[in-house]
Amino acid sequence: MFAIETKQLTKTFGKNKVVDQIDLQVKSGEILGFLGRNGAGKSTFINMLTGIIQPSSGSYSLLDVQGPNDDIKKQIGVMPDYSALNASMTAMKHLKFLAAVSEKPVSDERCMDILKLVGLEEQAHKKAGKFSFGMKKKLAIAQAIIHDPQLIFLDEPTSGLDAESVIHIHQLIQQLHQQGKTIFMTSHNLDEVEKICSRIAIMKDGKIGKMGSMDELRAYYQSTITVTIKHSPIRSTHLPTLEQWLTLTGTQLEMKTSQFTIHVTSEKKIAEIIRALGKYNIDIYRVDVNEPSLEEIFLDE
Amino acid sequence: MLAISKREFIESFKGIKPIIIIAIFLITAYYSGKFSDLLLSANIDFTAEELEGIHTIAISGLLIIFGMLFVMGLSHDTMNREMHERTIRFLVTRTSRSAIIIGKFLGIWFFWIVCLVTSFMVISIFVHKFDMITLFQATSLVAYYLALTILLSVLIPKPGFTMFLSIVLGIAFPIFNSWTVFTSNPWVSWMKYLLPFYYINDRNFYFVGILLLVGVILFIAIAIFNRREC
Ligand SMILES: Nc1ncnc2c1ncn2[C@@H]1O[C@H](COP(=O)(O)OP(=O)(O)OP(=O)(O)O)[C@@H](O)[C@H]1O
Ligand SMILES: [Mg+2]
Repeated sequence: MFAIETKQLTKTFGKNKVVDQIDLQVKSGEILGFLGRNGAGKSTFINMLTGIIQPSSGSYSLLDVQGPNDDIKKQIGVMPDYSALNASMTAMKHLKFLAAVSEKPVSDERCMDILKLVGLEEQAHKKAGKFSFGMKKKLAIAQAIIHDPQLIFLDEPTSGLDAESVIHIHQLIQQLHQQGKTIFMTSHNLDEVEKICSRIAIMKDGKIGKMGSMDELRAYYQSTITVTIKHSPIRSTHLPTLEQWLTLTGTQLEMKTSQFTIHVTSEKKIAEIIRALGKYNIDIYRVDVNEPSLEEIFLDE
Repeated sequence: MLAISKREFIESFKGIKPIIIIAIFLITAYYSGKFSDLLLSANIDFTAEELEGIHTIAISGLLIIFGMLFVMGLSHDTMNREMHERTIRFLVTRTSRSAIIIGKFLGIWFFWIVCLVTSFMVISIFVHKFDMITLFQATSLVAYYLALTILLSVLIPKPGFTMFLSIVLGIAFPIFNSWTVFTSNPWVSWMKYLLPFYYINDRNFYFVGILLLVGVILFIAIAIFNRREC
């Protein structure tokens, strides 16, 4: 079962194709991290799925129900990219009211529990009009989960939050994940996505460029695992054979007197190289392995 | 939908405007109850029909002359403010757009029904009878004003503009509607069927026609709102 499935989903504003024929499948129980530069079309994509705007063409289904569908909204929680709270309502009233709108009325205790989870328990009876930016953000997250939805959209849930709150929200997202919820989140924080998302999609110019788990994305850029080995001198009789073997094992070999750098495709190759050096009685003093960070993959896109 | 209605109903009582409006209605009710007997004893020749509606005529008049102003003045921004401030996003992601419109309509309408029933009860204390027909006509009339207000609030994105419009329409609507009812000009006269006054001219059940129009107006409002991006 797919929690989210889109087919050729497209949105144009005037002549501007902001989301361009996206086919995406998100499995139930995943945390999908959606990355992309400002204006890539991430929020537009989410807003189409959540009924805020209408797709120009293409189709989508949520929790195996063809969209747009009003009944399925009860099972979906949304924290939109831009939203506003009712200034005259307290945090508590917001949660009670919005849960009731979802036709899933909740008790005061449940509201309090959720407010604790997002770190707003002390502001429970304060009016949203008097909230700071971060507090509003937390309340927006709280309202997205108050009705215990199966599928949760979070558009930049942690941007603008203090460091401690970010950790808090990460724990919350992981907790939701353990309960089997599917989470679709966008972020500009690459470390965050790398840490908590099970899969990552990178959006560029309205299309999804790359998608996969962190390991898969790295594997895609596999030739960029850079290994630098510092070693004892190599006997000149061994040098040509070793050099030849190395060029077959990896790419972009750079040899210096007591050190060489090579790009390999997998960690296994690193082991092979170390074994080979041992065979020639070469001592290894130091091995530096440089895997591509998400940042590098991201910038490469 | 009921959650939205309930909130709108409660919110309707908040602020200074509803208090002023309720006060106007209650004062009108009080004096029309008190003085209609005086009027009856003043030796004027009333028709039988006029006699029946005489106690509540002041409330009807109030609604005909100032109803649009009151209703729109109170609720002109019920949709566009939420779209403007984007609080609507928390609603459209949770429920259907028709539920939002109908929910709001019912909530605010119920506020007016409470106002009207209270006024009519105040009158009935004095005259010892309850004018059901006029109450139905009055609630239908308010429903029409409200549906139109909601339609305009969906149609016009700027709350500032609907506020301005509520004053203009508040004055123009009763004048124009009366004209359509009384004119013999065929170019204008047909419009009386689309406006409410024609249906409450006499003490009968024609007011049901207004409720049908309300349904049509709300249907249009929902159709427009469905196409809106919030
Ligand atoms: N209502 C709209 N009308 C016209 N253009 C729009 C509208 N909404 C978004 N756009 C355009 O669509 C593009 C994508 O916007 P979107 O908000 O989806 O980007 P994003 O990936 O979420 O960016 P960010 O990281 O800044 O949140 C932008 O170029 C934006 O100008
Ligand atoms: Mg965005």
